[in-house]
Amino acid sequence: MIILLGYFGGLAAFLVATVLVVRRSERRLGGYTPRASAASRLETDDPVSAYLDRMTAELRLPAADVAEVRAELADHLADSIASLEGEGLETDGAIREALARLGSADELARQLRAAHQSTRRLLAGVGGGVFAGAGGFVIGYYGGFFLLLLLALVVYAVAAVLSAIGIPLPDLSGGDRTGGTFNSLLLAFSVAIAAGTATRYAVRTSAGLSRHAPRSVAGFWAVALGLGFGAVALFGVRGPQGWPGVAAEACIPVAAVGAALFRIDRPMPHVGRWALVLGLLAIVGSVSVLMLGALAFTTVSSGSSSDQATSYQLPDMHFDTVAPAAPTTWLPNGSLNDGVWSWSDSTGPRLNVSFVAGEGGVPPATVLANWRAIRFEAWHIMPFGNPGPPAVDTQYSSPFAIQPATQEGTDLNATFHFEKMRSAGSWEIFITAIGPDGVRYRLYDCGGGESTFNGSAWDWLTAAQ
Amino acid sequence: MPARIRGQLLKGTTTLLVLTVLRDGELYGYEIAQRIRERSGGAFVPSEGSLYPALHALEADGALQASWRAGDRGPRRRYYQITKSGLGMLEEHSQEWASFSLGVTQVVGGNR
Repeated sequence: MIILLGYFGGLAAFLVATVLVVRRSERRLGGYTPRASAASRLETDDPVSAYLDRMTAELRLPAADVAEVRAELADHLADSIASLEGEGLETDGAIREALARLGSADELARQLRAAHQSTRRLLAGVGGGVFAGAGGFVIGYYGGFFLLLLLALVVYAVAAVLSAIGIPLPDLSGGDRTGGTFNSLLLAFSVAIAAGTATRYAVRTSAGLSRHAPRSVAGFWAVALGLGFGAVALFGVRGPQGWPGVAAEACIPVAAVGAALFRIDRPMPHVGRWALVLGLLAIVGSVSVLMLGALAFTTVSSGSSSDQATSYQLPDMHFDTVAPAAPTTWLPNGSLNDGVWSWSDSTGPRLNVSFVAGEGGVPPATVLANWRAIRFEAWHIMPFGNPGPPAVDTQYSSPFAIQPATQEGTDLNATFHFEKMRSAGSWEIFITAIGPDGVRYRLYDCGGGESTFNGSAWDWLTAAQ
Repeated sequence: MPARIRGQLLKGTTTLLVLTVLRDGELYGYEIAQRIRERSGGAFVPSEGSLYPALHALEADGALQASWRAGDRGPRRRYYQITKSGLGMLEEHSQEWASFSLGVTQVVGGNR
């Protein structure tokens, strides 16, 4: 509990600090225009306005800095002209002399720009940009996740209402029975929103703190974060994978580059007003969802199962598509039994089937001696959610994966990596071997399962078909 | 009235002059230029084109703090105030100037 409080307390403090840094920069980038009474009078005067226009055009500083410099110099010129007039000069002469004392507008702009863009501010800009980018990523991720979840709930609610009033709906799940694709899309789009927010925060914060116009630093951040988030999209986002997921992950670097280049001069008025509220709301929402999920999981786990087992007859399962069953002469009933299955998302199903002496008392060595080219074959079967038995899918006439059996004592072993195969889907594994008559027979049905490709976009793109 | 000091000679001393006149209280840009001119008896006329870059650079370095506000007798101005860091910088520059000035005086005096 203390760890949780520390984690979320620290996260909230980090988000507050991020918003404060970004707001500080936003104030520098725009919105603030100092009122200068003398300036307003002078700017109607052509030579002075022309000088100030030329000087400010060359400044290339954030808007607030430009406005401040312009107002300050307009005040200075007003004082200077009034003083020169007091010394006896005509107005035109006083204006010319006051402008001459300031020197070339271009040179003044160059010197002022150099004065504003100090090394100290540049370092502060880079540091602030990285900090704001990290905070923006967290805010964008939680906010994006929360918004997408709300959007999904709205879509489901609308679909439920339409369905209830009898309006037929197309199946938008695309066969996503396990929800893997939905999770993958949710993760990828959340990261894309986070990447866009992080980049926007980084560009504008670094611009404001280093006293650069946002456009002049946007290219740097677009390249840096475009490449960084490109690597994240390609190698970092892992989980159930498929073409929709890969396409969504491609949006991550695109969002980063787009956020850096698209209307980057536009202020971010939401920062502070909504970002903090949304971020905290998202954290509370996510924690609530996690807690509700844990509660629901506990309830389901502790309840008794009321599922009715359904048994199917062998002919319903189309096992003969694989190979004919081994004659009991060469493989007495019970001489081959299940061994150990190990299964994980990272390694895939590791199959281990043991030979044991059957009821007929046949020694394992005798059984093994009858067979050669023993192998495990993985066959596509009908998806488990479909009505009817999970039978071998008869549209395929060959297995989609074969592993030769390695023998260790009386064990036959094989390892399949279905999580790295794009089209594993629903499968059943059989042991087959060539008998004394030279025909391949089906020795054993090891059982079946359902696999989803699991890994990064790079894994998916480079995986075997 | 003493002769005007050459601009090149003034260039390196702008920071010292600005910090010195601001030690006595906050001023805005035009006042700073006027104060330097008055206190030098008209000998120093800082280039106004280099005064503002110097002020903004000192502000960026944290030696000065600027704020917009209405003055006692006039419209809103951008006032500059020396900071603690600025006072330290002034001390360093003053010592450098004293050494430099003494050296120059000894050289010039020795030639007489």
